[in-house]
Amino acid sequence: MTSDLPYRLGCDIGGTFTDFVLLNRDSGKFTVHKTLTTPQDPSEAVESGVVALHSSQDGYLARTENVIHGTTLVINAVIERKGAATALIATEGFRDSLEMRREIRYDIYDIGAVFPKPLIERPNRREVPERLYADGRVRKPLDENAARQVLDDLAAKGIESVAVCLLHAYANPGHEQAVAAIAAEAHPNLAVSLSSDVIPEIKEYERTSTTAVNAYVKPLMARYIRRLQERLAGRGFERGLFMMLSGGGIIAPETARQFPVRMIESGPVGGALAAAQLGRMAGLKDVVMFDMGGTTAKSCLIRDGVMPIAAEYEVDRVHRFKKGSGTPLGVPTVDIIEIGAGGGSIAGIDELGLLQVGPRSAGADPGPICYGRSGTHPTVTDADLVLGYLDPAYFLGGEMALELAETESGISREIGGPLGFSVLQAAWGIHEVVNENMAAAIRMYVTEMGGNLADATVVAIGGAGPVHADSFARKLGVKRLIMPRGAGVYSALGFLVAPISFEVARTRIVLLEETDASQLADQFREIEESARTVIEDAAPGAAVAYDRIADICYLGQGSAVRVSMPDDLNPTEIAARFGEEYQARYGASYDDLKIQIMTMRVTATAERDSDAVALPFEANGDDAAVALKGERMAFAPDLREMIAHRVYAMERLPAGARIVGPAIVEEDSSTLVIGRGGHAEVDGRGWILVELGDPKQEADG
Amino acid sequence: MTAAARQFDPITFQVLWSRAVSIADEMATTLVKTAFSTVVRDNHDYAVAVYDAEGDLVAQANQSTPGQLFCMQRVMRDILEEYPARSLSPGDILIANDPWLGSGHTPDIFIATPTFRGEELVGFGVTCAHHTDIGGRMAAPDAREVYEEGIILPVAKLYDKGEPNDFIFRLIERNVRVPDRILGDLRAQMAANHFGGQRILQLLEETELERLSDLTTPIVAQTEKSMREAIAKLPDGVHESSLELEREDENGNRLVIRLRLEVRGDEIFADYTGTSPQVELPINSVLNMTTAYTVFTVKCALHPHIPNNKGTSLPIHVSAPEGSILNPTFPAACMFRSSLIFNVVQIIFDALSNVVPEKVMAPSGTFPLWIERFGGKFDDGTPYVSGFNGQGGQGARYDKDGVTTTVFPANVSSTSVELLEIEAPLLCDRKELLTDSGGPGRQRGGIAQEVVLRNLAQKPAVASLSGGRFHIAAPGMDGGGTGSHGAIRVGDDDPLPQPKQVLMPRETTITFTYPGGGGYGSPYERDPSRVLEDVRLGFVSIEQARDAYGVILNADGRSIDEATTASRRSDAAD
Repeated sequence: MTSDLPYRLGCDIGGTFTDFVLLNRDSGKFTVHKTLTTPQDPSEAVESGVVALHSSQDGYLARTENVIHGTTLVINAVIERKGAATALIATEGFRDSLEMRREIRYDIYDIGAVFPKPLIERPNRREVPERLYADGRVRKPLDENAARQVLDDLAAKGIESVAVCLLHAYANPGHEQAVAAIAAEAHPNLAVSLSSDVIPEIKEYERTSTTAVNAYVKPLMARYIRRLQERLAGRGFERGLFMMLSGGGIIAPETARQFPVRMIESGPVGGALAAAQLGRMAGLKDVVMFDMGGTTAKSCLIRDGVMPIAAEYEVDRVHRFKKGSGTPLGVPTVDIIEIGAGGGSIAGIDELGLLQVGPRSAGADPGPICYGRSGTHPTVTDADLVLGYLDPAYFLGGEMALELAETESGISREIGGPLGFSVLQAAWGIHEVVNENMAAAIRMYVTEMGGNLADATVVAIGGAGPVHADSFARKLGVKRLIMPRGAGVYSALGFLVAPISFEVARTRIVLLEETDASQLADQFREIEESARTVIEDAAPGAAVAYDRIADICYLGQGSAVRVSMPDDLNPTEIAARFGEEYQARYGASYDDLKIQIMTMRVTATAERDSDAVALPFEANGDDAAVALKGERMAFAPDLREMIAHRVYAMERLPAGARIVGPAIVEEDSSTLVIGRGGHAEVDGRGWILVELGDPKQEADG
Repeated sequence: MTAAARQFDPITFQVLWSRAVSIADEMATTLVKTAFSTVVRDNHDYAVAVYDAEGDLVAQANQSTPGQLFCMQRVMRDILEEYPARSLSPGDILIANDPWLGSGHTPDIFIATPTFRGEELVGFGVTCAHHTDIGGRMAAPDAREVYEEGIILPVAKLYDKGEPNDFIFRLIERNVRVPDRILGDLRAQMAANHFGGQRILQLLEETELERLSDLTTPIVAQTEKSMREAIAKLPDGVHESSLELEREDENGNRLVIRLRLEVRGDEIFADYTGTSPQVELPINSVLNMTTAYTVFTVKCALHPHIPNNKGTSLPIHVSAPEGSILNPTFPAACMFRSSLIFNVVQIIFDALSNVVPEKVMAPSGTFPLWIERFGGKFDDGTPYVSGFNGQGGQGARYDKDGVTTTVFPANVSSTSVELLEIEAPLLCDRKELLTDSGGPGRQRGGIAQEVVLRNLAQKPAVASLSGGRFHIAAPGMDGGGTGSHGAIRVGDDDPLPQPKQVLMPRETTITFTYPGGGGYGSPYERDPSRVLEDVRLGFVSIEQARDAYGVILNADGRSIDEATTASRRSDAAD
């Protein structure tokens, strides 16, 4: 089957590299390309990559249906404070909430702690006389003359962008809209972000900080998107350009221009989308995405193919891995945890005399000791090399030779000596501790979410993910893991399978016993209408599906649970669903308590054919022996000693082949370790599924 | 009669320790997620820990308030003294809130759930949570005895072999103002404990660990060793300080805390002899709390990054005379012990500033802790009890300004104005930073705020107002200036002389002026450009720049008059 427009191009601008993945949907094949990011004008690197891809796929652009684009521009502008001259307009008496934050410390004992500087400095935080009650009624009407005066002052000062965040605007956007109308009339070039548009949800600090970020990056993103469109048009591409959002959907550039804060961190979402897609193809129910790269490991739990959405996300942390040290954002974001545990994470002895791994990383330069670039701190990759999991002669497909002898002496010096360990024990310690760190983080994450891992499968991607997945999965009590071909670059594929989708939320506080289905339906329809216009922009004429969700709690409780609504919106049925959800998470539910809806949400999704994306195995026959490269000694955790592992070449494996652990499967971008007791099967569609088994039984058999 | 502790290789030990801590952290998450009380969910006013079968603490959750964190170290031992382990059965749950047993005031309820493997007791999941109300005179800031501060539950079985003790449930229900919330929070605690119990069993099944107590000993030993090494780096010596407080005893005398802190080898001896006798005010701090904040402060200064367990406190010996405000006897009132005990932080930092000036902090405007409570009825008759927290400025650090409006040494978040206005018929007129509130210094004290709340309901609200530094502001350190004073005003009245419970009729406002943090080092040593920046941001007035910092601005208010500034600063130096 061929089509006129078989190509989809995904493109992700990172801090260092801009990555491309070009999929030919007819052949199912994809091509990967990398180019250096051009910070002055990032669209330049996009254009040069688009051009470079012609060398392998001649004339593809004219036959490309969509370009899907993700970028770290938004988050970098915030971290590097490179956004627009931005001002805030707040309710009289409340301009400082942005600076006062939540008034809590993120580290109980650290009296030297610092907090991020507010994005909008105090002289640019202005106030207007107005006040709403909590239910949206007007206590004091907006003083329009005062508002005009404030806007005039700000414009005269050279302010380019304004965040408007008035108290209780989630309940009644009238005053904010009036400010916007005055701005549009008097200062049409001023970019305006209203909190009632960006995040109409209760809690003034969180709403202000989110709206402030949106305003701060809005002019920059508008310019960038325009240039990107021009460059692509210049190369002959004028069809569907989509922007990747942190919530896992893609959307038209116009929406991204309005709500750039929704794009805050689109990169990591790719891995989650790709893992979800792999899970669907392989017919798995729950998957744990486990993406371990050079500096961090990322993980999330995807149940029944549904992306987990975080209640809150934080940017601009003073300490990257310390919760609370950054700026909270209330935009829908795929709930991915990131911990400082990658191949480059440095191992050392801490003040308690314990072995510590990460979050400090050796980066690419000097990198791990084994890179031979004068790195002296032992890292996770160094440990993996000593343990035999990596082949010194075949790293990155043989592009880079690794220094074993130097690595062993470095690990002995820094870790083995102080702890009284052999080099092998020390290397195992590093491997084990980093795995435990990652497992502890995901256990905590699952507890917060109220899930359970009993039936989950680990999807191991990233350069180091498949090396550590066996031990990581065992620690979580997970019995199965799956590694796709191309695991090292697999997350880039996620962009190509992302749905056109957008979430709109509104705080609507109501007791379930005091509402009824028709009232709820009216409120949901109003939200659906806002969501529909956004989807229309991205996919004109497409059928739109609405997913209605409400955040619900027992009256007086602090954190709400996301509950999917029944079609008929019958309150009794809603209460029952909430009870089930609550019970599943927390082990009990209560009939005697009142139930309250806090926030209503609608996710609108355009129906769109979603491809199966994987690299099929091409070899015939079902005997793994054709791919056998040889044997090497590698560490068996249960025996605590080096034993022979069979080594296979991933690309030569035939579909249907079976591999019994201990074994190692190598490809250019990653290495899969199958422990004793493991039984793997090669699926011709493009992945290896490993049943972990029990090493002890293996010893008998 | 314990068998010899099992030895683990260091990596196995470390992984097991990490798993034990993660059990406590996961229990805390469960508690916060299911709690009804804003005190638990927003203020993190709780503590969670896993104990071995002997009642020794194995691990505790990281995110909780320091007082409860340290009090957890011995509470299970104390509970078991009253209720021996051999009398426990599967399905039992213990409850207690005796201030002298735990963390020093009645709203903190401990729930301990023994975990059994078959019939064998293997450990405990324990949570302590600050409840919204525990009866009595609703947290009256003028209580004279603990009897006014609600019901006290001695150690009792809340569940006996899986059967609820109805009498206790009914007792609580009949004595508190918002029983739904209190019972809801007790359920949250039980859910967290239950979760912890399951995880303990899982840990024992999946790993080579046979008894939790095999972990306790090496955890404590390793922590203790590290703490001792940190103390040993200090020179031996005795540091005496005393601190006059603005709170007065029944005879109108200001209270005094005296400290003799001795560093001897790898141990610290903190002796509070000479401290005022206990008072008929709800600010007495039981010895558990006094010890907790003493150890906490030493840890902050010397060794902030190690985990907290018994090993942290073993090298620190705390003594306070029985019958004093730092070791009161029953029935002393103690609801607001935080307004007193946080001063211990100040006096210890003061003592340590002689030897490690770079590791301490100038006094903060954030203590005593300001926690306001409001109770009353909406116009439709629905009752409410709601809290409001705000913060002053922290003290300056040796090399950094003090943090703006951020809690210390407790750890509670502020109240969202929008949420407050939904939970209670109150309206916030304004909430803004206060110019000139930070104590001048080479490093400026943290900026404070002012908040105005108004009652919208027909019925007057009962407002329990607590706060401080009304008369004695946060002093500076090493030549730094004092932060601004605190004040609470009802309507246009004069500021309250002391914290107090008042009636707040309809449309009456209460103004909370929070105190600023103390400065560190002479303000004349502050770079004039930093003073100018503070003026630009509105943190420092042109007048304060001139009078306190010796920095004279030009008429435009936006640049420094260099010559006049230099001469003024050099005159002052002469």
